[in-house]
Amino acid sequence: MTAAFEILAFAVSGFVAIAGALGMTTTMSMFRSGIFLMASFIGVAGLFILLAADLIGLLQIMMYIGGMLVMILFMVLVMHDPGGAMMAGMDMAPIERWFSAGLEPRKPRQGGHGDHGDHAVQHTDDDGHGSHEGHGGMDMSMVTPVRPAAAWLAIVVGTVLIGMLIWRPAWPVVGTLPDPDSAARVGHLLMEKYMIAFEGAGFLILIGIFGAVLLARPSTYPDDPSRSAKVAVDRKPEAIADDRIAPLAGRDRDHRAGDDGL
Amino acid sequence: MSVPLTPYLGVAAVLFAIGVYTVIAQRSAVMILMGVEVLLNAIGLNIIAFWRFTAPADYSAQIFAILVITVGAIEMAIGLAIVMLLYRQRQTAEIDSYADLKR
Amino acid sequence: MGVIVTAIAVLAALCGGAGLTSGLERLFVRPVWEPGPVHAADLRHPLDLPNADRWLLPAGPVVAFAGTALAMIVVPLGSGLIGRDLGIGAFYVIVVIDFVVLGLALAGWGANVPNTVEACYRIIAQLVAYVVPLGLAYVGVIMMARSLSTVAIVEAQRGLWFIVLQPLGFLLYLVTGLMQSYRAPFLEPFAVSIRGGVLGASGGWSALLWRIALAGVLFLVAAIGAVLYLGGPNGPVLPGWFWMTLKTYALMALMLGLGRLVRPLSTAEMLALSWKILTPVGLLNVLLVGGLILLGVRP
Repeated sequence: MTAAFEILAFAVSGFVAIAGALGMTTTMSMFRSGIFLMASFIGVAGLFILLAADLIGLLQIMMYIGGMLVMILFMVLVMHDPGGAMMAGMDMAPIERWFSAGLEPRKPRQGGHGDHGDHAVQHTDDDGHGSHEGHGGMDMSMVTPVRPAAAWLAIVVGTVLIGMLIWRPAWPVVGTLPDPDSAARVGHLLMEKYMIAFEGAGFLILIGIFGAVLLARPSTYPDDPSRSAKVAVDRKPEAIADDRIAPLAGRDRDHRAGDDGL
Repeated sequence: MSVPLTPYLGVAAVLFAIGVYTVIAQRSAVMILMGVEVLLNAIGLNIIAFWRFTAPADYSAQIFAILVITVGAIEMAIGLAIVMLLYRQRQTAEIDSYADLKR
Repeated sequence: MGVIVTAIAVLAALCGGAGLTSGLERLFVRPVWEPGPVHAADLRHPLDLPNADRWLLPAGPVVAFAGTALAMIVVPLGSGLIGRDLGIGAFYVIVVIDFVVLGLALAGWGANVPNTVEACYRIIAQLVAYVVPLGLAYVGVIMMARSLSTVAIVEAQRGLWFIVLQPLGFLLYLVTGLMQSYRAPFLEPFAVSIRGGVLGASGGWSALLWRIALAGVLFLVAAIGAVLYLGGPNGPVLPGWFWMTLKTYALMALMLGLGRLVRPLSTAEMLALSWKILTPVGLLNVLLVGGLILLGVRP
């Protein structure tokens, strides 16, 4: 690997990592925010691979592509405006405008459909309460009022950390190259020296799965409102094509009658 | 190793700062979970960078990076389950509306 | 210079493989069946979607195509015919094929049409369904080959193919491979009821890229299956690339044919199948392979 290529790869990966994290926290669209976070993780994975830890880098990509996509599903489920369409027209700071570029501003419809707000998954959830259109008058902003203070705090934290780095740059750097076959080395360490930690992590994951399933199960108390909120499967799913969003443009794509279901 | 250690640590520091901002400034619980992921990721980058430059013969650092990723995944799973539960009860994922849990 | 030649060769191999794949797939599609990923898409006219996300929608097919091209690098097509022999090749393949899922999700959301957004949700649910059993189907082979490198896995099968020692793992790979490539019983994200999902909202160059990427996924799944369980390019008399091609397309025909024997499953049924049957079967397979290794059975 030549020096110029390594510097270029570092610059690209570092830029993707930082720009992704910035975009995650400033964009108006929840979906984009998840995608930006994924980009940030992939950038960090690129840095891992540059640092000769290719196994960890690939592991990171695998974990977070799946993890972030699932997280996006949850965001779409619980957010009022996952596509950011309602907020795209509001006044934004320059950085927010930049990361939200291309979002179509759209007013909430008369029928109450936001951007992607009407899906079979959400239907049972919306039964009986104000549904999404009930929030019309409330503050839709994604950030808390303490945002300026938080921004200043983050700038201070970053400046202090980088200042400390510049102030004390003399780490005892060793010049040797690590073993290229890191998978074998990591495997031996996992199964020998760190076996307790490894098995402990596995056990932790198992407990985590149990805990998540237990928490996410509908409650069994008869008067609990969450009892009616079964989200997994609709008994009779709402036909998707009946959404009152404008039909597709283009030729022969607007025959929408008579094809609900297989 | 034409890129020295300090730039890697600098990237990690910036990521950490962004994570701090996200955790404090965002309103929804899911975004806060994502901020925590960024924080964990900055820590993982630090671990790997120090491993590569100060102790490349000892692979323990990679084990710790794997553990950090594992903990991040579990945190996300449990956090999302709790958010789902609260969402079903209160129909919102905004942290401020959970304030009565403090009592 | 060598890198550029390798890249062009890998891309050519991917396009050729994808072309042959779609030719083979045509034999397994009847008009009454769900077409799945060979759903009609207009290659000639670009489509104008009024509410589409200008960045996410075009990013989808590019990301998916890049994922298949990256995965193609470590597939050994013959002795010496490999883009790059990575030390962690098998794991690398699992990881980069995930980019196809990412691309489908990006385009599905970005098109901003109810059908494609539904397809995006189904794609993500299907990822959750197949990823664990797929990993378990790889693990048995990796345990016996004692290496993650695809070349080393092929070398380990010089005496005996792993399909003989791990028939359970092979069956598991057939099912999860079909899930991973969205073919016959697992074609919910491309169902006719949502008008082909992402494919229904693509046109022009993006439809072409989707064609290559989706055929490429099936090609990659079959090629990796041939490498993992059928000895890859190993074979008597004839050259390695011939055996590799033969095994890949035979395995593909077997998968497509078996898949058409079952009615298409919904995403919920897929998840149930994955977590209730495939994952325990995968764990059992790992246990059996471990027992065989302890008994000293080696190819």
